[in-house]
Amino acid sequence: MATNIPMNLKYTKDHEWALVEGDIVTVGITDFAQSALGDIVFLEVPEKGTHLNAGSTFGVVESIKSVSDLYSPVTGEVVEKNSQLEASPEKINSEAYEAWLIKVKVKDASETNNLLTAEQYTEFCNTSH
Amino acid sequence: MTNKTHLFDEHVKLGAKIVPFAGWDMPVQYTSVKEEVLAVRQNVGVFDVSHMGEFFVEGAEAEAFVDYLVTNDILNAPMGKAIYSPLCRDNGTVIDDLIVYKLQKNRILICVNASNIEKDFNWMKSKLSNFSCTLTNASDSYSLLALQGPKAYEILKKFLNELPDMEYYSVFETAYFQSPVIVARTGYTGEDGFEIFANHSTIKSLWEKFMASNVTPCGLAARDVLRLEVCYPLYGHELNDELNPYDAGLGWTVKTLKPNFVGKQALLSKASAFKTIKLVLEKGIPRDGYSVLNSKNELIGTIASGTMSVVLNKGVALARIKIDQYPEDEIFQVDIRQKLYSAQLTKKPFVTGGHK
Repeated sequence: MATNIPMNLKYTKDHEWALVEGDIVTVGITDFAQSALGDIVFLEVPEKGTHLNAGSTFGVVESIKSVSDLYSPVTGEVVEKNSQLEASPEKINSEAYEAWLIKVKVKDASETNNLLTAEQYTEFCNTSH
Repeated sequence: MTNKTHLFDEHVKLGAKIVPFAGWDMPVQYTSVKEEVLAVRQNVGVFDVSHMGEFFVEGAEAEAFVDYLVTNDILNAPMGKAIYSPLCRDNGTVIDDLIVYKLQKNRILICVNASNIEKDFNWMKSKLSNFSCTLTNASDSYSLLALQGPKAYEILKKFLNELPDMEYYSVFETAYFQSPVIVARTGYTGEDGFEIFANHSTIKSLWEKFMASNVTPCGLAARDVLRLEVCYPLYGHELNDELNPYDAGLGWTVKTLKPNFVGKQALLSKASAFKTIKLVLEKGIPRDGYSVLNSKNELIGTIASGTMSVVLNKGVALARIKIDQYPEDEIFQVDIRQKLYSAQLTKKPFVTGGHK
């Protein structure tokens, strides 16, 4: 499967992407994930102020025929959610890396070093699916 | 070890996502479920449903035997008719739901669900001894395509030697070059369309013709959305080994005036334990197995099938409610991830198909 994996982002094995800018991490789901899910029709993400733990579920994305949990790449507090995207979740299909879900203020920015690089994620997608 | 239909390589070439279903590797979607659903509603799509089972009943008492096996009326239906029916045990529970095709007086085709082929065949065989006819499982010799959508007739008649403008739920024996083809104006989408039974090479050739005519290949996901939008039951969801036809709202298929059929005594005295209802959600998508609650937040039933409707762009579901807990106010809620969503009861199917 041809898939777009930008070099400037970090990734999880659950197919979330993370854009790290200082202590703010913007989170979305990857092109690989949106393609596997198909037509996305429903999105549920946490409100501002919600505390998240790295690796734990923080929301749900649904396609016509499936329900998938979202996993937080980092530990921290939600400072913003993409409310517009909840109203038009199909944008995740058309522009996976523009369609961010939440912004998280992390306690410890060094935690993001544990995430996969673009090379590592590419390798992961090629070997595990 | 899973089975593959004779079109498996074609599906892979088209980029289909393949999933295991009822022991078969089947295409679940090609491009987009939404596009595939809309192709069938507005234009024409084709499904490879070769995993389904085909039985032939042949001989002097073929009609009488099938009429005895199933709950719906086979004897009084005219020749060339297709009849949907549950197949029940003596205690009235449903073994499968199937379509009976009256090809000739002494020759009947029965199409059954893939997951139930062996169960159905063994059951039917066990009831055969008093009838002068044979029962053959021809599933391995037949492939099956469902060509569905408003343009289905226009496309299909181009390729078959002869195809009259048949009535809905009728069957016709024709040919593709020298090969026999059984064509039925039936389907599982609510739209006009045909189910086409033939040998593997004929079906492969027809599939190629359909692809060259811009017919949209459609997968099992679209098929499930389409059938649920028009509220057709699916075995394993609305029907199963523990339920009787009344539980699934299929009372219209039980002809208790017939002199005798398997399950008649049980079904005459049996009340239904459940009511199967149609729910529409303004917000949230109901899924199979989710709980249904009344206005007092008490558990009263389960979602049997649920999805996002492509046509309505809303969550829709068939729900099974315990009959003794059916609420007078007809107010329903669905529990989606520990949150309660209001669900509107509707009496009519969510979508009106365009079939004849």
